[in-house]
Amino acid sequence: MQSIADTTGSAAAAGQRDALVAGFAALAIAIHILEAAFPSPLPGVKPGLANVVTVVVFLRWGWRMAAAVAVLRVLVGSLLVGSFLSPTFLMSAAGGVAALAALGLVALLPGRPVGALGASVLAALAHMGTQLMVAYVLFIPHSALFGLVPPLLTASLIFGTVSGMIAATVVDILATEADSS
Amino acid sequence: MKRFSIGDLAVLALGASLVGASYAAFWGDRTEGTQAAVFVGREQVAALDLSVPSAHEILGRIGLSQLRVEGGRVRFIDSPCPGRICVHSGWLARTGEVAACLPNGVVVEVLGGERVFDAVNR
Repeated sequence: MQSIADTTGSAAAAGQRDALVAGFAALAIAIHILEAAFPSPLPGVKPGLANVVTVVVFLRWGWRMAAAVAVLRVLVGSLLVGSFLSPTFLMSAAGGVAALAALGLVALLPGRPVGALGASVLAALAHMGTQLMVAYVLFIPHSALFGLVPPLLTASLIFGTVSGMIAATVVDILATEADSS
Repeated sequence: MKRFSIGDLAVLALGASLVGASYAAFWGDRTEGTQAAVFVGREQVAALDLSVPSAHEILGRIGLSQLRVEGGRVRFIDSPCPGRICVHSGWLARTGEVAACLPNGVVVEVLGGERVFDAVNR
């Protein structure tokens, strides 16, 4: 995969990379905040459309840039929503780190067998699974929490699939644009 | 460029089976109950052994509720309430299952076995 992160030799490339990271982080934060404004049918369930941005950046520009975008999104997003260093922030950060770890695993697979859909589903499941574990260890160490595991995992599987399809479409469009330019 | 690869579908299948397994692990282990407790208001008025077939009449606030025990299960047969929601609840066999006739104040709860929660409950 052609990666801008690999071409850190020139200052111009680095500047371009930073601009891309900032732009994509801003986009992800906007989506994040829009999502936070909508009421959720189930507590703790959000579509996680901001992860589309992370997955697209990951597939096109590599893991390091995706990590930069995701970390910026969690930090700045929580500052804007007002949940910085709160339990919500801890859950969000832990989920984000787990999703990035899942994407890192995808990147390590030889031959790149997994595309946008698989990467997004893996990231979503890792995100939700880790959040549940953090919730159990830090906040609600009660077996009743396990009853929530199946529906929440179902939701993250569905939303991961949907955002994976969106990400696949975006990656496709980006690829054709890059080819024609 | 092909939009979805075999690897994508494999991940999707893996994820789906993981979710399925989580249902089996966390929702599937409700055990068969061995007893049923009958309450009128807050007071327990009877403890029914589900292994012995029997019929019971429970005097509630507005009349007699009829219960039947059969094949390790218990249910409302009749109750003097307008909606008969308790009767429509059908057979109860698993630990923690409850049927209630609210107008008559009669509640039946299956006990014994291991109690498993299906939602946050505290």
